[in-house]
Amino acid sequence: MKTIALVGQPNCGKSTLFNQLAGYKSLSANFPGATVEYTKGQTYIGEEIAEVIDLPGTYSLSWYDDAEKETVRALFSEHIDVIVNILDASTLVRSIELTIELMSLEKPLVVALNMMDEALRKGIYINVKKLEDILGVRVVPIIAKKGKGIKDLLEAIKTAKKPLKRCVYSKEVEKYINKLKECIENNNLSGEWPPKLMAIKAIEGFEPCMEPLENSTCRAPLKEARYALRDGLVIVQERHALCMDIFEKVAVVKKKEKKSLETILDSILLHPFFGYISMFLIFFSIFYVVFHGGVPIENLIIGAFDKIDAFLNSTLTSHKLILAITRGVVDGVGAAFGIAFPYLLPFLFLISLLEDVGYLPRIGFLLDSTMHKMGLHGTSIIPFVSGYGCSVPAIMTTRILKSRKEKIISAFLASLVPCSARTTVIMGLVGYFIGYGYAILLYGINIVVIMVSGMVLKKLLPGISPEMALDIPPYRLPTIKTLLLKTWHKVKDFIFLAVPMLIAGSVVLTLITYYHLDSTINGVFKPFMALLGLPSSIAVVLIFGILKKELTLLMLYQALGLTSLSQIPKVLTPEQMFVFTIFVIFYIPCIATIAAIKKEIGLKATSYITVGTFTLATLLALLFKVLLHSVWF
Amino acid sequence: MKLVEGSLDKSYIVESIDGGCMAKDRLWKLGIIPGVVIKIKRRAPLKGPLMLEVNGSDVVIGRGIASRINIKEIE
Repeated sequence: MKTIALVGQPNCGKSTLFNQLAGYKSLSANFPGATVEYTKGQTYIGEEIAEVIDLPGTYSLSWYDDAEKETVRALFSEHIDVIVNILDASTLVRSIELTIELMSLEKPLVVALNMMDEALRKGIYINVKKLEDILGVRVVPIIAKKGKGIKDLLEAIKTAKKPLKRCVYSKEVEKYINKLKECIENNNLSGEWPPKLMAIKAIEGFEPCMEPLENSTCRAPLKEARYALRDGLVIVQERHALCMDIFEKVAVVKKKEKKSLETILDSILLHPFFGYISMFLIFFSIFYVVFHGGVPIENLIIGAFDKIDAFLNSTLTSHKLILAITRGVVDGVGAAFGIAFPYLLPFLFLISLLEDVGYLPRIGFLLDSTMHKMGLHGTSIIPFVSGYGCSVPAIMTTRILKSRKEKIISAFLASLVPCSARTTVIMGLVGYFIGYGYAILLYGINIVVIMVSGMVLKKLLPGISPEMALDIPPYRLPTIKTLLLKTWHKVKDFIFLAVPMLIAGSVVLTLITYYHLDSTINGVFKPFMALLGLPSSIAVVLIFGILKKELTLLMLYQALGLTSLSQIPKVLTPEQMFVFTIFVIFYIPCIATIAAIKKEIGLKATSYITVGTFTLATLLALLFKVLLHSVWF
Repeated sequence: MKLVEGSLDKSYIVESIDGGCMAKDRLWKLGIIPGVVIKIKRRAPLKGPLMLEVNGSDVVIGRGIASRINIKEIE
């Protein structure tokens, strides 16, 4: 089976093309040993079936972050048969730079010239045949969004050849490059890099290419080349001039005047004041739609599962243990569907919409400065906002982040954001019994704790968080098909990840009740509960809370030996309720969230996060116990 | 003059990028190359990043990077 890799610069429409080729049957996978994700699927080329890999977008073969690094390493590997380089026809000059680098890999290459319609709208007319002749590579014009040109592209992939041309720089420059290249070849220093590309990148000052040459005989020719070519600047300028030259030869630009819609939109959405107002309104309406639209659907689903429960109760009365386990399974499936369809589906759809329209990088621009203090970028706001709904998709969105450090920090902080389950505890316990002012105070405390934790993590974790340097795509209208496919991929991930966890959790819960293990658990945790000043019978509630957070409220009165929730003030003091809620907000993420974190950043970091949140919750609970004691009484 | 000191809605020529700038390679790829004309389009509040127009595209770069880019005014 042939393997085809899709490569392109960010925002070139790579994923749209991928969806057109591989459709809904694609899978996401992680690069071995890395937390960077790519998508793969299959497509038919004529009669033959081929594997298509959608690699993370990269500006060039010298990487700037983890995701780009994995793309480059995947391109070097043996098993890729054809590289499809997707270019954004409306930003041709910059796009060709990557093409020129890809040519040096000497693998069968096809160029897919995407967004021909957008280029036309910008007044850029491209002569495809001429571009093909100059590059020496097959060029196929496509409009991925509308599925145009896909057939021709598949045909071109079938007959793809290695690039015809090689030397692209001036004689003087080539002289230095070749001298270094020969040295690299003679000393077998290139590793997985093509020797010539390594030479160019080393002269340009790209660390991973320079380092292997540092302590070798190639150090002298490298030093000489870097001196003569002004630390690689000459190469860069020549390549840029070459791209400009190609552009001028193949394209005619007819300037279209008039103030574009984009300028108007940007003047509001990126405004130093109205930009933030718009951002707030956009997120507020998303939450409004998701939470208000979701409730009736959730009730419908819960209603259906309640009926199944009642049916099981009446038919399986003689087999108590089987009943317990079956009910656990049914409850788990019910809980998963109760979250996935009413909330997750619309939420992920709207987030995909924001992403594809081009709003997300603009939020990044607005929020970068605040987020940077926590070792994050503006784009990291998405996991946080999502966290108020459910932590699982929030953790899943950390996938869009590039560096590992940023991912770990975001995953940790996003798990601290009170999800809708924890909101029921905050509102139902502190809000209802102590006062809604205190509930809002809890949200405030939560935000402060998150910011401080972020600043501490930034200092503690190794690695630097690279500064923002990216291009902002123009606003684009995505097609419904692309959005639905994107949403479907994410919901599928959630189902595969969370459903088994929720089922297992529910089964464990019913078994604990069935075998009356509550008192044993309470006994073990008695000293810890005493430390927090809480009754020891609550320990089992906290254990259950790890399986599903909303249970910490639902099971609280039973555990305290009461008949209803309204009797809680008789047993717990306001101080105890407050401390309990603080602990519930911050302690160990629920089991489905833990599974999501493990998938995104690996087992080791997940265990650190689990221990970290537990420690944080304990410290905060103790702090507030002492504080409240001196203030309240 | 450094890029951070440039004024809004004005075009400049990129003169050089200081050594030791981690993002140098990325800047080159984004079209910020010595000799190229760039325009400062926006600044995010609270010492946020800068938005530039390079070659007809919008590019956003952090302020730390912008303080390592030398520019000169167009006569």
